[in-house]
Amino acid sequence: MNERAGFARLDDRELEPAAARAYLDAPTTEAEREEVLALAAWFQRRYPTPVERLAYVRRAYARWRRTLGAGASASAPPIDRSTS
Amino acid sequence: MRAGDFDELAFFRAIHRSGVRALLIGRRALVLLGLPVLTADYDFWIAIDEIAAFNAAVAPCELHPTVDPEQAKRRGRYVVENDEHVDVLVARAITTVDGVPVAFEDVWAHRWAVTLAPGVDVQLPAVDDLILTKRFADRPKDLEDIRLLRILKSGLQP
Repeated sequence: MNERAGFARLDDRELEPAAARAYLDAPTTEAEREEVLALAAWFQRRYPTPVERLAYVRRAYARWRRTLGAGASASAPPIDRSTS
Repeated sequence: MRAGDFDELAFFRAIHRSGVRALLIGRRALVLLGLPVLTADYDFWIAIDEIAAFNAAVAPCELHPTVDPEQAKRRGRYVVENDEHVDVLVARAITTVDGVPVAFEDVWAHRWAVTLAPGVDVQLPAVDDLILTKRFADRPKDLEDIRLLRILKSGLQP
């Protein structure tokens, strides 16, 4: 299995419906909301144009594969600002 | 073509110029909305009768379909790829895991465009429709993206 196929297999696994529903129905905490909005605000401030955002994500993904990718979850979490 | 050689703007320009009704879905749509998420692939949902035109448009980017258009129609999805990987949905409608039918024509009607450069627009679903596309499967990353989109949307509202 090549690396992409391995990632895809992990990435494409599906949750049980009840588990998915529980995840989606869990209330958003204020801390979670603030964290996500702060991350989005940083991203949009640092990379104000759509092209810059796309380019950044390509760079970040390449870096993630070089460093953490082989052993990390393929769910590819939101980018932490510390990786920029 | 190595991954580092891929001209992303040329790719989106080719799709724009083709006139194919192609919606960018998946995580790159989230990126254009301003959410920093990692992804390897591109995901599109295109009009089912425009498969050949889409394939022709991206061929100069050295992206080649894995199946012919008739097979793609039967399967409802296919891939164009080289070192890049582009998943393409071609169904007229798809039902979410909890039974909500989502029609391409409806999503297309509510789309909005993001301009990458002069003459290069990318068509995105409305946020609520993008959330529905994330319910085509209950993968962990899709559910995570739904929570991100909900929060982003809540932050956009007055």
